[in-house]
Amino acid sequence: MRAAPPGIERRQYLLEIGGAIALAAAAAIGLPRALELFAVINATVFVSLAVLALSLALIWGFGGILCFGQAAFFGLGGYAYAVAALNLSDTTYAVPIALLVPTAAAAALGYVMFFGRISDVYMGVITLTVTLILFNFSNSTAGDEWRIGAAPLGGFNGIPSTPPLNVPGQPGAALPPEAIFRIAVACLALCYILAKLVLRSSFGRVVIAIKENELRAELLGYDARLYKLGIFSLGGFMAGIAGLLFASCVFVSPTMFSLSYSAQIIIWVMVGGLGTLAGPIIGCILLQMLTTWAGTLRDISPSVILGVILMLVVLALPKGLLPTAFAIAGRLRRGDRR
Amino acid sequence: MSAAHAVPLLETRALSMRFGGVVAVDNVSLTVAEGELRCLIGPNGAGKSTFFKCLTGQLRPSSGRILWRGRDITGADSFAIARLGIGIKTQVPSLFDGLSVLESVVLAVRRLHSEATSRARAVAALARLEIEHLAGRQVGLLAHGQRQLVELAMVVAPEPGLIILDEPTAGMSAEETRRAAELIRELNRRHTIIVVEHDMQFIRSIASAVTVFHQGRVLMEDRVERVLADPRVRDVYLGKSAERAKIPA
Repeated sequence: MRAAPPGIERRQYLLEIGGAIALAAAAAIGLPRALELFAVINATVFVSLAVLALSLALIWGFGGILCFGQAAFFGLGGYAYAVAALNLSDTTYAVPIALLVPTAAAAALGYVMFFGRISDVYMGVITLTVTLILFNFSNSTAGDEWRIGAAPLGGFNGIPSTPPLNVPGQPGAALPPEAIFRIAVACLALCYILAKLVLRSSFGRVVIAIKENELRAELLGYDARLYKLGIFSLGGFMAGIAGLLFASCVFVSPTMFSLSYSAQIIIWVMVGGLGTLAGPIIGCILLQMLTTWAGTLRDISPSVILGVILMLVVLALPKGLLPTAFAIAGRLRRGDRR
Repeated sequence: MSAAHAVPLLETRALSMRFGGVVAVDNVSLTVAEGELRCLIGPNGAGKSTFFKCLTGQLRPSSGRILWRGRDITGADSFAIARLGIGIKTQVPSLFDGLSVLESVVLAVRRLHSEATSRARAVAALARLEIEHLAGRQVGLLAHGQRQLVELAMVVAPEPGLIILDEPTAGMSAEETRRAAELIRELNRRHTIIVVEHDMQFIRSIASAVTVFHQGRVLMEDRVERVLADPRVRDVYLGKSAERAKIPA
């Protein structure tokens, strides 16, 4: 973080928020007109995953908590939404349930980890383990006896009958994919702004300070555990939004909890730029577009392409795309002045 | 200084810290009165920093008690002890390298005051240490002496009841050390201070009660001139072989 005079810092902050709103509005209005239906659904998936990337960007990049288990909260959000929507035959109240479940799960897991003073390495192990337990569990729910009320969990196949969002209070009126895309874009912009606001608040500044030096923060009287719990729960909440959006535009299945998602989220954040919010969003969308394109190739697996790109980024741009772009822009500007 | 019957600000009773077979702090009973300026000396490895880690909650003592204004705080968490009003400048500066100097000092007081008051207090603390010009700089990019002062500003800004300074002049120039001595005397007008030092010149210049640590125990406790004249202290610092070496008196 560079120390800038308060005036400039404030102007940049407002510029970033304004930019986010403008971009989101342009995407929400423009893209559904320009794209075909299939592409709109695909774009919704990208946007929901971008919310997921943002959730990790917040807790890892600013809270210093490397969580290998964001996919767990993503999947829980999705499953909670699907199960609640099928049981209520209306998505109006499924939405708050889908946000509550992953947030509560993150709070419970965070409580155990932070108040147990578990070290960083074990935190990675625990979050990954929780995700894999959920993956294995959801995979083993194939039988007819595995149902929650009206919702069969479906094992490996997931819940193909996951309903899309409907107009609030009107169970019959399912929203068209274009509307769901717009909601997803609005959610992404809101989550971004929320993250910005939180990081600027005194709570957020303490969170950043704890990432910088936990001991010093404690010696100044801040209970680091509480702040970490707060930011971790917020990360779980955002991952839950991502899961809800994903479920609403496609359907839920155990792959949401898979190792491949857990790993990809980390790759998005690293490629986009750890320590930024916009970077991981950009990284996620670019890599998703790339993997989709790579999936159409016949002779090479998309995983290989993704792996090569990750290696290239780690070697050539260790700070990630966005910080590198800023550094280059800054150098050019300084060069002009000379 | 408070009267003899008054409750001391800080008291340890038979405090011990063992790491396996190693006894780093051995049965230390120490009393610091309100308003005092106490020097702690002793060679490296005498247990001073471990003793402070016990006082500030970074370590849970193996046995013994710590009393703050007569209240038992043994084994309390670091943040809880900090909230009581115990501030520490650690031996190796412990700072927020990614933040600016002003942001760091604001954080030190933000827990207690509003944003505006915190800023005003932070600016005042920087002025008190004559480092206002560093306010906008990133802490991680500062020179060692400046980092020491930034940490000191963070400790002083919330006006703690007790300030612990673990080797505040380490790595400072002669001129900076002289200023630090002045500053400590000045701080002592409002705060109780425990300071660890190796520089005898420095200790004499802030002239106060001295406690000597050796091998985890309190070797002696007395006025500065008596401590410095004591042969045992010379032995501890210089070893028997250097008995004739002089500590300037």
